[in-house]
Amino acid sequence: MKNQMKYLLLVPGIILLAVFLVMPLLSIFLPTIFTEAGVTLDSYIQFFQDPLNVRIFIRTLRVALITTIICVFLAVPAAYYMSRCKQSVKGILMTISIFPLLTNSVIRSFAWITILGRNGIINQILTSIGIVEEPIQMLYTEFAIVIGSVYLFLPLMLTTLAGVMDNIENDMMEAAESLGANRLVAFLKVILPLSLPGIIVGSTLVFTGTLSAYTTPQLLGGNSNTVMATFIYEKSMSLGDWEGTSVIAVIMIITTVIAMKVLNTIANRLDKRGGDNA
Amino acid sequence: MAFFNLQDINVSYDKKNNILEGLNLEIEKGELVSLLGPSGCGKTTTLRVVAGFIEPTHGQFILDDTDMTKVPVHKRNFGLVFQSYALFPHLSVFDNVAFGLKLQKVSKEEIKKRVENILEVCDLKGFEKRFPKQLSGGQRQRVALARALVVEPKLLLLDEPLSNLDAKLRINMRVEIKRLQRKLGITTIFVTHDQEECFSISDKVAVMNGGVIEQYDTPENIYRTPKTEFVARFIGFENFIDLKRKDAHTYIASDGSEFVVDNGCDKEDPKGTIRPEDIQIVSSQDNVENKITGKVIVRTFLGKSYQYELDTPLGVIVVNGSSDHVLQAQDTVCVSLPKGKIVLV
Repeated sequence: MKNQMKYLLLVPGIILLAVFLVMPLLSIFLPTIFTEAGVTLDSYIQFFQDPLNVRIFIRTLRVALITTIICVFLAVPAAYYMSRCKQSVKGILMTISIFPLLTNSVIRSFAWITILGRNGIINQILTSIGIVEEPIQMLYTEFAIVIGSVYLFLPLMLTTLAGVMDNIENDMMEAAESLGANRLVAFLKVILPLSLPGIIVGSTLVFTGTLSAYTTPQLLGGNSNTVMATFIYEKSMSLGDWEGTSVIAVIMIITTVIAMKVLNTIANRLDKRGGDNA
Repeated sequence: MAFFNLQDINVSYDKKNNILEGLNLEIEKGELVSLLGPSGCGKTTTLRVVAGFIEPTHGQFILDDTDMTKVPVHKRNFGLVFQSYALFPHLSVFDNVAFGLKLQKVSKEEIKKRVENILEVCDLKGFEKRFPKQLSGGQRQRVALARALVVEPKLLLLDEPLSNLDAKLRINMRVEIKRLQRKLGITTIFVTHDQEECFSISDKVAVMNGGVIEQYDTPENIYRTPKTEFVARFIGFENFIDLKRKDAHTYIASDGSEFVVDNGCDKEDPKGTIRPEDIQIVSSQDNVENKITGKVIVRTFLGKSYQYELDTPLGVIVVNGSSDHVLQAQDTVCVSLPKGKIVLV
């Protein structure tokens, strides 16, 4: 009896999840497959038959992928540097790197509007020193969405990676050096493979974050660069097409789940370490 | 000039306090030399200077007539074994050992041959595909050794490589290390704080304290005739008695009693020291040299023998006595300090 009592502890959580997560999800998902003609996937097939929808879907994936890759390249060296710093310096750097997270994402996106805009800082500099005659169109492009997303999600990658690299003992590097590897080779052959779990977790966070972000693509991408998240808003609020909205929402959920699965598979393949059958 | 030469090495981290001060060390080719000392004495720092992780603030490191002081770590080609082994967890045993050879751009067949060969020498055959996590402590230790040896290094540097193993494995491994070192004829520096380990394995021992080498000699000489009080204490001497020189073989203690010793020294007021196990318990009538009378204050059981602390006119004297005749606290006893066993420092 006593043993079964412990399951009572789960009840509040389960109720919360059931009411606020499972039920809403079902109420989105079920109407998309139950139609007058019975259970069908017609609405999904229709979605992918429209080239405009496919373009939005591909764009969303592309933005998320490029953002993730840029974040990896920016965060790996920085995180390694942070992990080798003294404890006191490390604390300061960590605080600085998560500082952007402390401001609202709308404000952050507005900051980028003033930087990238037609009369923004970059264009002013470029035209004043005569590199270009006409201001370059940077705002309201995919490029702007990627920049904004990198800025938004880099701290996640950085903190995750720094945590993992922190746990790599310094003698790994020294052992590699003593065997004839210069610092760069030692980093690429030892530190990088050992950081892979962190890179994977960070990538998952950044990829799924970018995939579902709304504010940044809305403010920086403009109307011609719709992504799935802004598409949902358009469909529901402007067009009142709730069934279409549900279809997009389900597609996004499935895409996210698949992306995580793929990343985990890659991680397991690359990170053998023989841990499982030890 | 000797094969290996550290000349007047200074190391300091903050420019004020020297971790190493004017350290000199010469090693002949093929020798195994131990750096022995308590933690913080600078032995690991010395090893890291040799490995190239620390650049000395002063002095030179010359190996085989080449100045190595400023050569970067990865160009030195020394084999290193770390206390933690530092095996690469993401690589199999084979890949761990092959790591150095791959960087030297050795051909694939050659790598396979040499790795298999060294794994056989280190008794690791059949473990090629395992990962470090799947190995026991002793096996990891041997992989670390194989990885360091396979590149045919000019020097083998071992940083307390046995301290993470249990007692029995330690003894096996140190015999193993000695065997491999002899077989390959590789000049080796071994850092340890365990004197038994160090005496059993080394051709020569450098006892370090406070960033300097206090004594550098063969294990036998260090064991029998330590040159300084620190070395004597570190290798198990106790009973330090203040003496005044009368002549080369006769010294006078503070209470006026005379001590005869075999090995005299030039100092005017040396300290006489002797190991507790070398002191003999005698009866009061015996006519023996260097006799002291005292009262037992503490008795400690050591297994093979008992250890007594005696209160004597010369201070506390520590003596080992056999289990056959057990003394009680407050007993009065006579002890004799054999003149051949007293060392003056």
